[in-house]
Amino acid sequence: MKLNKLKWIPMLVCAIILTGLTSACGIKSEVTIGTQTYTETKILAEMYKALIEDRTNLNVDIIPDLASSSLVINAMKRDDVQMATLYTGEIFNNHFPISGTKDRKEVLKEAQEGFQKHYQFTWMEPLGFENTYAFTIRKELAESKGYTKISDVKKDMANMKLGVDTTWLERSTDGYPAFSKAYGIKFGQIFPMEISLVYSAVANKQVDIVLAYSTDSRLKAYNLQTLQDDKQFFPPYDASPVLRSDLLKKHPEIKDAIAPLIGHLDADTMISLNYQVDIEKKSEREVANAYLKQKGLLKG
Amino acid sequence: MESKHLTFSDFMSYVSRNSGMLWEYFIQHLTMVVIGLGLAVIVGVPLGILCSKNKWAAKVILFITNILQVVPSLAMLVVLMLWLGLGTKTVMVGLFLYSLNPIARNTYVGLKQVDPSYLESGKGIGMSAFQLLIKVRFPLSLTYIMSGLRIAAVIAIGVVTIAPLVGGGGLGREIYAGLNSNNSLRIFAGAIPAALLAIVADIVLGILQRKMDLTKRKSGAAPAPTKVQKIL
Repeated sequence: MKLNKLKWIPMLVCAIILTGLTSACGIKSEVTIGTQTYTETKILAEMYKALIEDRTNLNVDIIPDLASSSLVINAMKRDDVQMATLYTGEIFNNHFPISGTKDRKEVLKEAQEGFQKHYQFTWMEPLGFENTYAFTIRKELAESKGYTKISDVKKDMANMKLGVDTTWLERSTDGYPAFSKAYGIKFGQIFPMEISLVYSAVANKQVDIVLAYSTDSRLKAYNLQTLQDDKQFFPPYDASPVLRSDLLKKHPEIKDAIAPLIGHLDADTMISLNYQVDIEKKSEREVANAYLKQKGLLKG
Repeated sequence: MESKHLTFSDFMSYVSRNSGMLWEYFIQHLTMVVIGLGLAVIVGVPLGILCSKNKWAAKVILFITNILQVVPSLAMLVVLMLWLGLGTKTVMVGLFLYSLNPIARNTYVGLKQVDPSYLESGKGIGMSAFQLLIKVRFPLSLTYIMSGLRIAAVIAIGVVTIAPLVGGGGLGREIYAGLNSNNSLRIFAGAIPAALLAIVADIVLGILQRKMDLTKRKSGAAPAPTKVQKIL
């Protein structure tokens, strides 16, 4: 029967399955750093990696592009990932009960205590910059209409198209429902999208206003203006390295290795590092290593 | 600011400079698809057979696999990730669950459409129910099973592109790298091979499907009725 000729197919399938399974059991690194989908966390991960590998005997792996910060946290909880960059405002994402204050120091304290208590993560001191949500419009539109703060757009809200990343729409405490209530603003149309697409969307007039990240280099590159959060709706988002506490207990040298970064990265530095990757098209590793070398932090 | 105008030669030079990495992503992509689909065939075909035996089982199995297929792919992968952890394993299980429905359903339909007269003649020459299944019904439904596999393969190749969001590899890694660094060359370098893979898989499986269509094949022992009618 001709069918016999097709016998190679199951054999091929088996061969591919076997190679797949064997390659899945490769060598495991001691530390795996997870990153969110945006550039900043990837540059920081490369910095941690370079410093840890330079100053300790540990091997570091990076898993980029994880869908959301909650996914990163869950991966850390499962020990698939041991380290990440997280932002203090994360506590408003329903991980554990919080007091609801938006004071910068208080929020940091709640993040540090809460994640230690409920997740056994060590939340280190902030790196020195904040990356918060910022409502952003084209500069010429802001100038022609005289918008400077979020409340200013209220009169035109019904005709405005908003572009946002999908997670913000769902977040109950610091997301759209709460924002709508706080400012009394409901936009005419909402387009959820990948966060990295909002900048070109607003620059190309596909939407009128977007919710952007305040340290993104494209704000500058696309000539965009952020609006002042006049009702202090958005919580502080100070960035810190976060590690599993059991890893730190086993390898306390990691903390010393990344200590030189703590408190030394301000928002302008971060924007310019992001700019080199996003606009000048350098790789995250290149930018991270060049910065560390320039600061004299790499021994090797 | 608009990103600078990119030409086809920019693309080709990017691809050739990074061919090693892209090849590695391609192999990861293919491996995930093949393993996910392989598992789905191993489980889905027996489920399809079970469906053809029992109406009640058919209802339950097709209902459940249908629901599995309706879950948005990222949601499915994120839920699986909480249970299985980051990486390729999660993606392969996700693909497995996605592919079950087309494979089980097509096996079921294939087995059901076999001309009862063949089954009668099989019974007439003293075949057991098992022999009927293996020697008559199953070969005659192969083309349906293959069409299920074809649908599943094309869907799977697309779904795998979101693997990086749960820590998996594959061509999606290149697409997300391009998306996040606003570099359309990298988006194309990931998306074009993925699209080509889907097209090639569709064509290759289509050819296999035609080869397995026994009802259209000339056979000395028992010519299929359609063929006979055509000749007459």
